[in-house]
Order: sequence, then C-alpha cells, then structure tokens
Amino acid sequence: MKKNTIMTMAGLAIAAAILILLMAATPASSGIELPLKELLENQEKHKDDFVTVEGLLIEESIDWNADDIVLKFDVQDEEGHTMHVVYEGVRPDNFSEGVIAILQGYLGEENTFNAESVQTRCPSKYEGEDMEDYDPEFHKEKLGEPSSEE
Amino acid sequence: MYLLGNASIYIGLALTIYSILVFIIGIKIKKQTLINSGKGGVIAVFICMAVANAVMLYLLATSQFQYEYVSNYTSSELPLFYKLAALWAGNSGSLMLWSFFLTMYTAMIVVSRKMQGNPMVPYISSILLINTLFFFIILGFVSRPFALLDYVPAEGRGLNPMLQNPGMIVHPVTLYLGYVGLAVPFAFAMAALILKNVDDFWIKMTRRWTIIAWLFLTLGNILGGQWAYVELGWGGYWAWDPVENASFMPWLTATAFLHSVMIQERKNMLKVWNISLIILSYALTLFGTFLVRSGVLTSVHAFGDSDLGMYFLIFMGVIVVGAIYVLMSRYHLLKRSAGEFTSYVSKESSFLINNLLLVGAAFAVFWGTIFPLVSEAVRGTKVTVGIPFFNTVQAPILLTMMFVMAVCPLLAWQRSSAKNLRKNFLIPAVLSVIGMILMVTLGIQKAWAVIGYGVIIFLFVTHYLEFYRGVKARRKMTKEPVPIALYKLMTKNRRRYGGYIVHIGIAFITMGIIGSQNYDMETMKTLDIGESIDIKDYRITYERLEQRAEGINDIVYADLTVFKDGKRLGVFQPEKVFYGNWDEPSTEVALHSSIAEDLYMVLSTWDENGTATFIIKVNPMISWLWIGSIMVVIGSVFAIWTGRYQNITPKYTGVMKEVA
Repeated sequence: MKKNTIMTMAGLAIAAAILILLMAATPASSGIELPLKELLENQEKHKDDFVTVEGLLIEESIDWNADDIVLKFDVQDEEGHTMHVVYEGVRPDNFSEGVIAILQGYLGEENTFNAESVQTRCPSKYEGEDMEDYDPEFHKEKLGEPSSEE
Repeated sequence: MYLLGNASIYIGLALTIYSILVFIIGIKIKKQTLINSGKGGVIAVFICMAVANAVMLYLLATSQFQYEYVSNYTSSELPLFYKLAALWAGNSGSLMLWSFFLTMYTAMIVVSRKMQGNPMVPYISSILLINTLFFFIILGFVSRPFALLDYVPAEGRGLNPMLQNPGMIVHPVTLYLGYVGLAVPFAFAMAALILKNVDDFWIKMTRRWTIIAWLFLTLGNILGGQWAYVELGWGGYWAWDPVENASFMPWLTATAFLHSVMIQERKNMLKVWNISLIILSYALTLFGTFLVRSGVLTSVHAFGDSDLGMYFLIFMGVIVVGAIYVLMSRYHLLKRSAGEFTSYVSKESSFLINNLLLVGAAFAVFWGTIFPLVSEAVRGTKVTVGIPFFNTVQAPILLTMMFVMAVCPLLAWQRSSAKNLRKNFLIPAVLSVIGMILMVTLGIQKAWAVIGYGVIIFLFVTHYLEFYRGVKARRKMTKEPVPIALYKLMTKNRRRYGGYIVHIGIAFITMGIIGSQNYDMETMKTLDIGESIDIKDYRITYERLEQRAEGINDIVYADLTVFKDGKRLGVFQPEKVFYGNWDEPSTEVALHSSIAEDLYMVLSTWDENGTATFIIKVNPMISWLWIGSIMVVIGSVFAIWTGRYQNITPKYTGVMKEVA
C-alpha cells in the first residue's frame, strides 16, 4: 500500500475519533429551550432535562434572602401561566417588573423551577459588547412574542 | 457634510464598478493602460472610503444628532474617544470601518513594491474589489450610515455602558483587521487558481498575509476575552458564545493553513487542502458576520435585529460557490506533481495531525454553534448546547494539540530514525514524567491538570533544546558569545524561531486555561459592615458603602480591605455604576492580580441597612493567559518582520507576463 494511502487512513481515524467525541458529548451536555407554557404542561416529561426558559418577572413576588443568598420569584408568560423560581445566587442588576428573565436549570416540585442561572433581558434585547439599539418601544412589542427572537 | 459623506460612498461605489470592469477588460484584451487605470481606481476607492470614515468621525466628534447614527450611539457628555469609537458601535458604522480596512489592504497590494509587475495583481485586485462592491452596496442602499432624522434630537441615546471601556477602542478594530485580512489570502488563492500557478512566490505572499490576519484575529480574541473578564463581572474570559465561536473558527482554520502550507512548500503536497483551508477561513469570517448581524442565535454580542445577516449569507454563498467552482476547474492541475510521504514519523505527518486536530476543533465549534438551529429545524425543539459541551470536546483536542506541538520541533523532515527519536526525546520525556510525579506528590490530583502540565513541560523542554542546539552549533562555527549567537540564530531564521515563540506563548495560555478552569474558587456572602469573608489565604473585610457622582452617572462602591496571609494588600473598591442615560447598571470589578492568581471582587447588591452581598473569586493563573498572549504577538511579529538576512521574496515564476 502506498504511504499516502496509509496516512489518509490514519487521518480518517483521527477525524472519526473527533466525531465520536462530538457525538458522545452532545447529549450529555445539552439541554432544551422551551416556552414557559409548554414546560408547565409537560413537567413530567422534562423533569430530567436541563431547560432554558424565559418569563416575565412579577415584581411583587420577589423574595430576596440576602443572608442565605437565595432569590425566589415568580415569572409568567403573556397568557398568565406562572411558575415559581428558586435561585441560589445573587439578584441580577435591574431585576424589576416586566423584565424578561432567562432561566436555566431543572424543574423541581410542581410548578417550581430550580434555576442555576438567571439572566435578564431588558429594556431591549440582552445584548452587550457590540452595540445596543436602545428603543423604549422595542421591548413592548417583543413582550407579546418572547420566543420570536430566538 | 451630509453631501460629502454620501457622495464619497456613491462615488466609491461607482469607482469600484469601474475598476472591476477595466481590470477584467484589461486582462481580456491585454492592455496595460486599462490595468493601470484600474489600479488608480483602487486607490481612489480607498480615498473615498477614508473620506467617508473621516466624515463620520467628524460628525460623531461634534455630536451632530440630526444624523441617526450619531444620535443612536453617542451622547454629548461622552468623552471624545468614546464618541469616536462609536464609529464601530453600530451596524453601518462598523461596516464602514470594515470597508475601510478592505480598501486599505487592496491599495497596499496595488502599491506594494513586491507586487510590481506581477500579473496576479489585476486578479487579486478585482477579487477584493468584488468584496468591496458588496460592502458599498450595503452601505449605499441597505444600511446607510449618513441617514438623517427628520428632527434634531436635543440629546443622543448614548453609548451602551458596557462598551465604555478601553477594550472598545482596540478589540473591535483588531478583530476587523483580522477578519478583513483573511480576504487577502483568499484573493491570492483565487488569483493563483485562475492563473494556474501556485509557486513559491504565491506561498510566501499568502503566508505573510495570513500571518498578519492571524495576528490580528488572535489579538482581537484575546482582547475580547480580557474585556469580558474585567467588564462583565462573571469572572470568565471565554463563554463559547456564538459570536466568540464565530471568530474562533477562522482562527483555527487559518492556524491550520499556516502549518500545512509548510508541507506544500517543502514537498509540494496538500495543495488542494491548503486552498480549501483559505476558502474555508474566509467563508467562516462571512458566516460569523452573518451570525452577529442576523440575530438568529442568542448572544451577548448580537447586533440588533436587522436583515443584514441575510445579505452576508447570500454573499457568502456566492463566494463559496464561486471559489469551489474555480478550485474544481483547476483540480487536475493541482493534483499533478504532488509529493509523497516517505515516513510515518516525520515533521510532515505531525503537521498533518495538527491540521486534522485544528480543523476537527473548528468543526466541533461549528457543530456546537449551529446545533440549536439544526435541532429546531429537524426535531422542532431547540436544543441548547452549553459551555460544558465545548469544554468536553475541546479539552482533549487541545491536549493532543499541545502534544503534537511538543513533539514536532524535534522530528526531522522526511523521516526520523529510531536512534534520532531516542536521542531527542529521552530527556524531555524523563523531565516531564518527573514533573508529573512532583505535581502529584505536591497535591495536584486532577488528571487533566497533571497530564496537561506534563505535556507542557515536554513542550518547554523540546523548545528549549531547539534553541540550545541551534546556539551550540552556531558557536562552534563562530565562537560568538551566547546572546549574540542566539540573536543571530533567531534573526537568520525568523519564521522558525518566531513560530517557536508563538508555541511557547500558546503553552503559557494553555497553562492559564488549565489552572483557571480546574482550580478556581468562588464564594458569595452577604456582609454587615465590619464583617469579613475568608477565601483561600485571603481575608476580605467590608469597611463601608459609599456613593459618588461622576458626570451624569452615580457610582455606588464598597471599600474592601484585603489581607493575604496576614499581610495587608490594600483597599479595593468594587463598583456598581448607574447611568444617567441608561437603565441597566454595570459592574466594575475590583481586581488584585499576581502571577499566581487573581482575586476578583464583585459588589452585587446591598440593602438600606448597609449590608451588602459580594461575589469573591480566586482565579488562578489568569496572568499567564495575558503573558502568553503577549508572547504570541511578539513571536508572530518577529516572524513576519523583514530582516536583513532572509525573507527574500522568491521571483515570480508563473505564467508569462502579459499585463500586470
């Protein structure tokens, strides 16, 4: 066999190894992104999934325990489905009525979400380093369709 | 000003079309005067773009808010340099900067002394001009930078506070220089294919330009990481964000090209592969721009929603299809006269493995980046792929990469004999095993860290041996003192030793990555005034919470006294800045850096009774990232610096010169 052929085969073996690595890593470290309503309707199905979900913050529900660093709050979607969230971490900046909270974590008890991260996106998109096209009207229309910009 | 700005864009557009046409006609009918006219056109286009940028800078500096762009991204109280930096804060401005660099590179090629009388110039210029044309069309009709508002706002909307950081001045500029720079090797590749000539001259020039682009891309990525580290307050420097990935992928493929082109130079192999890498790198820069501008993926970097992304996607499609067509039509020519591998253990084979790893890494990043889109299209649910995915996949690749890098310098071209291998690798292998045993006994138990650092020791030793042997051989001949011998050795072979410096820099960066990923510590605590947090050897005492005003912004800050092992390090002030014209506050981290670790202090929230919540992190070896980065920069500048001894560009040996 020519050496070039053997080298090609060795190369393919490395490529295959990387592919296998990819396949192995994908399911273990990925999660799903769902609208709040779907998540609440299929809690049993998604109980082991790492979920990304968005909701509008309800300000009066915020319960911030500074000593234990536990943040509890409720989020809702535009149809009024609400979900309780428990987050062991600090209160994000600008955590006020109507911001869109992007939550990542696992479902806990009935209608409760144990968040591992909470980010906010307000008043317009959550965007940073390159630019911010701030427009006070912008997020109002976005609230009607929170998933449209994903 | 309005007239001047717009005129320069439309005149530039017209001149671009003119130049492309005269180049093509000039090439067809072989008329030198037309080609010369086209070259003049290239310079005129560059001047137009320079004028347009200058006008925009002037408008930004003088806060002329009747211009939509000026009022969208600046406000009158901004410091002057942030007003100017707002040129690349928004879509149309950053595209202007992009076109400016593109036309600048084109003009540089046209006037370059090395390229005088080279028949490739008209081809290269036309290809770059076609790119320029795309940007002019966008600037002229889609995203117009000089659009006027129908009223004059009293005040602009201001620049996003996150962008008000020195990083804003350099990170986007270097990144764009790198992105745009990759268009040049692409144009060289296409020109060479069209002329059916891939000679030494071509390799030298393309490699040079690729190193320049690569250097800026590297800088851009590192500066971005550094910026994120100090500005965003999450204590990390890289988050595998789609936009970060977008600039990392071309970096990986360009790195692969820089290595595999050496095999082409030596053995005349892998020509198709190399050209594919160039095309791929360039296509990935366009793909990255598409990701940033279209908003299809959620990202901290995303520009506001616009349909600009679509244009980039279409343009990328056109470029890729065109490039593949040219490549395929010349395929048989490239295949001819290819060399052969003579041994499995040789520099060639290690370069090949390096290439596969780099391209594999690029593919893995690509996969992770587009996976949410693919899964949504195929299965209907949007699957998110997080940081753990990238880390699991990239860690083994990076480690193997380091190993190849460690081994490669001591492998011979053609073949390495068993004796040669033993002689070269015995010492480094023994030393790294000793190092690994030492690490384990000293309490470093994590497998990744031990293996990683072991491989890096190997790398340092092999690289040291390269320098050592080179100096020794030289001194045998010349009897020079060591520093002079080292200096002459390096300057006589800049590419090689510059490359080694880059390798050592990458090794430093890897050490920083391994250290900071495996041994970081974090604690969160709410403190009353006078209370303190203990983390590692540090004691951080919360002294007081204060507020001060700075211009239209209010700043809340805490005084933290930090002791390390009982020794006072000083008072640090993490801040929260509230902006007069922006809703979201921003976090200013307090940082104490040392060579071993960074103490990273964030003021999160506070209550009226004076208690405040702090996040304190200890990030080990972060400084190594920055030190390594500096070495990478030094190494690559060293490699492309035109020395007295070499870098003599080979004579162009291609097709007969008809027009140039």
